[in-house]
Amino acid sequence: MAALLAGIVALNVAVLRLNMQVEQLDNQRDELVSKRENIQSQLTSTAAAGRIEEIATKTLHLGTPASTTYLELKHRGD
Amino acid sequence: MTARVANRRIRLLIALFATVFAIALLRAGWLQAVRAQALGSMATSQHRETIEVPPHRGTIYDRLGVELGVGTRATTVYANPRQIQDPRAAALAVQQSLGLDAANVYPLLADRSRGFVYVERQADPGLAQSLQDKHIQGFGFYDEERRDYPQKHLGASVLGYAGVDNKGLSGLELQLDKTLTGTRGEKTIVKDPFGRTLEVVDSKPGSDGENVYLTLDHSIQGQVERVLEETRTRWAAKSASAIVMDPRTGGILAIANDPGYDANRFPDVSQDRQRNRAVTDTYEPGSTFKIVTISGALETGLVTPSTKFTLPYEIQVADRKIHDAEPRGTETMTTDQILSRSSNVGVVTIAEALGQTRVNDWIHRFGFGRPTGIDFPGESKGIVLAPEEWSGSTIGNVPIGQGIAVTPVQMIAAYGAIANRGVMIEPHLVDRVGDGQRVQPVRRRIVSTTTSDQVRHMLREVVEEGSGTAAQVPGYRIAGKTGTAAKPDGAGGYSTSAYVASFVGFVPAKHPRLVILVTVDEPRGAIWGGVVAAPAFAEIANFALQYLEIPPD
Repeated sequence: MAALLAGIVALNVAVLRLNMQVEQLDNQRDELVSKRENIQSQLTSTAAAGRIEEIATKTLHLGTPASTTYLELKHRGD
Repeated sequence: MTARVANRRIRLLIALFATVFAIALLRAGWLQAVRAQALGSMATSQHRETIEVPPHRGTIYDRLGVELGVGTRATTVYANPRQIQDPRAAALAVQQSLGLDAANVYPLLADRSRGFVYVERQADPGLAQSLQDKHIQGFGFYDEERRDYPQKHLGASVLGYAGVDNKGLSGLELQLDKTLTGTRGEKTIVKDPFGRTLEVVDSKPGSDGENVYLTLDHSIQGQVERVLEETRTRWAAKSASAIVMDPRTGGILAIANDPGYDANRFPDVSQDRQRNRAVTDTYEPGSTFKIVTISGALETGLVTPSTKFTLPYEIQVADRKIHDAEPRGTETMTTDQILSRSSNVGVVTIAEALGQTRVNDWIHRFGFGRPTGIDFPGESKGIVLAPEEWSGSTIGNVPIGQGIAVTPVQMIAAYGAIANRGVMIEPHLVDRVGDGQRVQPVRRRIVSTTTSDQVRHMLREVVEEGSGTAAQVPGYRIAGKTGTAAKPDGAGGYSTSAYVASFVGFVPAKHPRLVILVTVDEPRGAIWGGVVAAPAFAEIANFALQYLEIPPD
């Protein structure tokens, strides 16, 4: 009887521990998802054309390229 | 001690123990029977908690999947002033960690009449963690989602803003708030005395907001904003707006207003600057409006492109004199030339022949006087005189784009109809929601294919030989119209110094893929649409044509 009771208690404790681990993993996952989204947002911000253009002109003192027009000519099938 | 005394004492002790035991038994019975429910609830509330799971706000993407508005993790820092032992030291710690001014924070932390104060909403998580690591009693932290606009200035007045509670307050964030918000979830947890979760006993799942894909192209939008800024600066103008639209679908590739602002700093910007003026503000369109009368006259068969008119430089309409922009003698012009040379006298002559009723009908047929239906809040319907309000001289100014107020989006929709062989498509900003179907905008035939072809030809001549030559793009045929309209002076007349310069056109002229409109408010040094707005059109068109790899006709 005592062994049975001890077994039941041990089982409940194990279940509780597992639940705590699951909750911790859940929280870690949420945190990682948030971090990934933050990094993605930083990446988008860093790669923004306006920012790159500003650095190119104001920090690196590069000139604006001359406007070049490319025309695609239709191929004559002869 | 006699046995008698001893027995008495033993009986007394037994009675005492029995009394104590009975009291304890009664107390246990009282607690477990009468107070059971109340005590059970107290215990449950101490170790069970129902937590709200806020939904993740949907992301706004451009047409290529580049993020324009995105939710990022932030940490809100709060404090219980009653638990803060040294408010001065705590304020300095906040200054060190979060970068806030200790002088502003100290009064909050020292106010012991309050049990809760916000120190900073939606702080950077790293900075909040550095404060948390100091383990100062009285500070609390919880995670929140903060809306971030990683492209900063790009499309700021279009995207709008989601405030500190992550609710849409303006622009597309407001228009699409329900779609982007999602629904809250709930979970009931069992926690230990240290607050750690032991078990989730119940959960009601919520759903995250849906992602939205716009028709905007971040590269074209960026280029348009740059060109507008240069144009406004060059001509010391009050403001400038531009729209780029695909006439085949009504999808707006770019819609910009200058001066702009950083979308992340929306609360610090004046209301005037926050507006998407291309949708919410009106202007008198001037000569760009002439296509309405000309199209109506062609469509009704009143005139053909080669119908001739003998036109003096000036005519009398009721109590007003109408004249052309450039002094000239009496000339014979065809309908074609009237539009390509932008003759005010010619257009008013045709309008008078068409008649007030039909002119008014064609104004409404082209969509003026009512919202276009664009998916953006606060759209203005413009100002169009009701037929009963027309005076004798109204026919002398409305057909040439004065005495009527339109929005840039109404104007581009009208020109989009001419570009799209007579079919107007409702302009729109949202391409699709999540994995759903693409938006199917409303289509409406305004004029026949023949009429639209004829008007397109006339508009080509404006650019090839007329006032719009500065809109030319090497290698491409452009069709468009310049506009130069005096602004009302507020005293019933028109200003002689404040004008709106505009150019609206489409390219390639034969099979248009882009309709572009540029308006510049109160330019200085030059006022003409052909001088101020047409070059901006050319620059935007040149970029967009190359970027989208659109071949010439």
